[in-house]
Amino acid sequence: MTQVTLNVNGADRQLDIDQDTPLLWALRDELGLTGTKFGCGMAQCGSCTVHVDGQPMRSCIVPAAAFAGRKITTIEGLSEHGDHPLQQAWIELNTPQCGYCQAGQIMSAAALLAQNPDPSDSDIDAAMNGNICRCGAYQRIRAAIHLAAKKNKGARP
Amino acid sequence: MIENVSRRGFLKGALAVSGAGLTLAVVGPRSKAWAPPFAETGTSFQPNAFVAIEPSGQVSIVTARSEMGQGVRTSMPMLVAEELDVDWDSIKIVQGDGDPKYGNQNTDGSTSVRTQWNPLRQAGATARSMLVAAAAAKWGVDAAACVTEKGAVYHKGSNRKASYGELAAKAAELPVPEKVTLKNPKDFKIIGTSKTFLDLPEIVRGEARYGIDVQFDGLKIGSVERCPVRGGTIKSFNADKALAIKGVRKVTPMETAGPPANTYNGLLVVADNTWAAIKGRRALEIEWDYGQHAAETTAALDKQLAEATAKPGKAFRNEGDAMAALAKSENVVEAVYESPFLAHSPMEPPNCTVIYKGDSAEIWAPTQAPQWARAQVAKALGFEADKVTVHVTLLGGGFGRKSKPDFVVEAALAGKAAGSPLKVVWTREDEIRFGYYRSQNRQLLRAALDSRGMPEAWLHRSAFPSIQTTFNPENKTPASWEMGQSAQNVPFRIPNLLVEAGTVDTSLRIGWLRSVHHTFHSWAVNCFADELAAKAGKDPLEYHLALLGEPRVIELSEQDKKNPYKFDTGRLIKVINLVKAKSGWGKKLPKGRALGFAAQYSFFSYVAMVADVTVDDAGALKINRYVTAVDCGAVVNPDTVKAQMEGGVIFALSAALYGKLTVDQGRVVEGNFDAYRMVRIGDAPPVETHIVDSDAAPTGIGEPPVPPTAPALCNAIYAATGKRWRTLPLPEKLA
Repeated sequence: MTQVTLNVNGADRQLDIDQDTPLLWALRDELGLTGTKFGCGMAQCGSCTVHVDGQPMRSCIVPAAAFAGRKITTIEGLSEHGDHPLQQAWIELNTPQCGYCQAGQIMSAAALLAQNPDPSDSDIDAAMNGNICRCGAYQRIRAAIHLAAKKNKGARP
Repeated sequence: MIENVSRRGFLKGALAVSGAGLTLAVVGPRSKAWAPPFAETGTSFQPNAFVAIEPSGQVSIVTARSEMGQGVRTSMPMLVAEELDVDWDSIKIVQGDGDPKYGNQNTDGSTSVRTQWNPLRQAGATARSMLVAAAAAKWGVDAAACVTEKGAVYHKGSNRKASYGELAAKAAELPVPEKVTLKNPKDFKIIGTSKTFLDLPEIVRGEARYGIDVQFDGLKIGSVERCPVRGGTIKSFNADKALAIKGVRKVTPMETAGPPANTYNGLLVVADNTWAAIKGRRALEIEWDYGQHAAETTAALDKQLAEATAKPGKAFRNEGDAMAALAKSENVVEAVYESPFLAHSPMEPPNCTVIYKGDSAEIWAPTQAPQWARAQVAKALGFEADKVTVHVTLLGGGFGRKSKPDFVVEAALAGKAAGSPLKVVWTREDEIRFGYYRSQNRQLLRAALDSRGMPEAWLHRSAFPSIQTTFNPENKTPASWEMGQSAQNVPFRIPNLLVEAGTVDTSLRIGWLRSVHHTFHSWAVNCFADELAAKAGKDPLEYHLALLGEPRVIELSEQDKKNPYKFDTGRLIKVINLVKAKSGWGKKLPKGRALGFAAQYSFFSYVAMVADVTVDDAGALKINRYVTAVDCGAVVNPDTVKAQMEGGVIFALSAALYGKLTVDQGRVVEGNFDAYRMVRIGDAPPVETHIVDSDAAPTGIGEPPVPPTAPALCNAIYAATGKRWRTLPLPEKLA
């Protein structure tokens, strides 16, 4: 077992975990942050997407111990009041169906918007292709990202 | 804002646990949070199992169907709230446990809105009528002079008002009326309006709790290494290396529970956390006796299917003399369509949490069929059903996989063996390799065309492993209800018509996957109709309409005659004409781009679709869009109908473009999304939906979008390239 300090959603958290424990299971089982989902265990579906220093990361295949001192953000910490423009847009367009993959979708989309505030459809397809939605809500995911980009634009001076 | 009682309570517990490893007596409070809270409040007015009104005025509505993205946690309460006349934004939604008091809870077959339309409206109307009677008695006025609105009763004459909360105690003393009058649909205020899913705020914040998210102190994690071949057993095993892994607590054999749960033999690893359980499993050393199915292969099933379709099968519909008409015709068209086994692959793999208490068990499961799971768990543990509580969590997708009780029964037996509360979590590989598969199938279609190019004879011979084998291995020949899914009930006017089923066998468990056998029958029938149109030199959509002819009701059995939901080809024709008008059908398109058409009646709903595709010179396919038209009767939540059409097309496209499982050495080869691919956002076309305005009784919407999707695609590819593809999934390059 290894002592690891992870900075998750702005707070330092002490963990006593096996050194190869994937970040996903450290977040879910040790920290109770179950918003980040298990979908495939091999970085194929994107359900487990979190941010590490602002970059999207599939948490199911990377050991948590590798991220000591890095800034990890999960869906629970994406916005203080759960009102990130993407979260608002997702609700406005009734985007999710079962909702299981949506935390991963939103985290991928948030990383995209942080880099590219006004993405085209093909920018969206490229950035979001790692996130599977078995319910097939892609059309609304695309529309919700555009809507969030518009909201962001409105918010900027 | 609608408060979600069950989940909020749960969340509180979960957060407390996550805080700092507190020791909580969580079992009590948490289980209470998942049960209908008003069951324990003596003061509330509960005229039936679905409604409770507290003296405070708080209205709670139970939804007893399982939420897996199809919106039942929103649409079911809409039915109650409409007749009850309450403010939509003020109600609490409670998820019902598995309990016969709710009637049938099986959330499959696109049945929820169709079967609950009357009972849930009656539940609301009954409560409303008793509240009105209470007010009328209190005021000494005629109940007929009272009206209701937004949670209160009003007396027009005297301008008096009483809230439902004020009336709750008095209403509770009144007899429950046997008959109530339901609203005239023109007075609906909630039904027919688009409501966003009530779980959305929690979903987008990562706070929604699915089965896999159940956590509490003392909960161990279980993972099961199952024999990869069905029926195989453990010859010997060595768990030393697994037990040496930190956090692994126990390794113990699991035996099959037998039909209908049909769990596999295997080894259970019990661990402190999920990662230890997974690592423990990997470290197991097992020598299997693979048993009698270890030689099964896809090639062998291909051969069985070819043989079964080469000879007469069991006739399910036989009109005129199709074989004779085919034998003497000079213009016979024949085609064979094949598609493989498919797994459901909901994003949340099966999982189940169990607290085994010696003489009872408490369970949290993302199940589509909580009563079935409860009964099978009771059977497996040797309890009466009332000793088993099944709490239904949110489902991260279902598609029919989570109808089956296997993962709940297996977890219950594992929970007993573990000796502590246990959550059994399946990996993706478990989900794909231990599924209840959509049948691999082969279909032979043969038609004789007359001088006008219309079929005078039609033979459809369909061979596939029957779903019945999952419950009774001896029932290998498909049943009428299986053949009735787009084969037996082909609506075309053809004088000589023969529909047969061929019998084949597999050791794999067969199940129902979103729209079941419609997935392959509708594909073959719609593609073959398109082939006949081409042979006749006619426009395929017009030809399809000609095949349907004058509107009529298709009734093939006494059961069909008794069924209030008729297969009315007039409604099918209407959606075809609607999609024709909306899709630009017949318009000239650039080279390589074309439209394809298909239509299907399924789950009592009518859907027509046009796929718009481009195939470039190298054979690369781009699906530009789908235009769809649907008649599912009266609509409860229009935005949900649209969402289901959008998602249903994508679900079907995953199968058409990528879906294929192969069997070798008695086991499923593919194990994860690298080999069992799904449509991703870059492949996903926009879907435009047109809903027929209807006051007919509502029917299904979860499954009906699936059947016409693949045939519309294949027909469009033919129109674009002149080449037919009769095997799914399609190749990477259509050249």
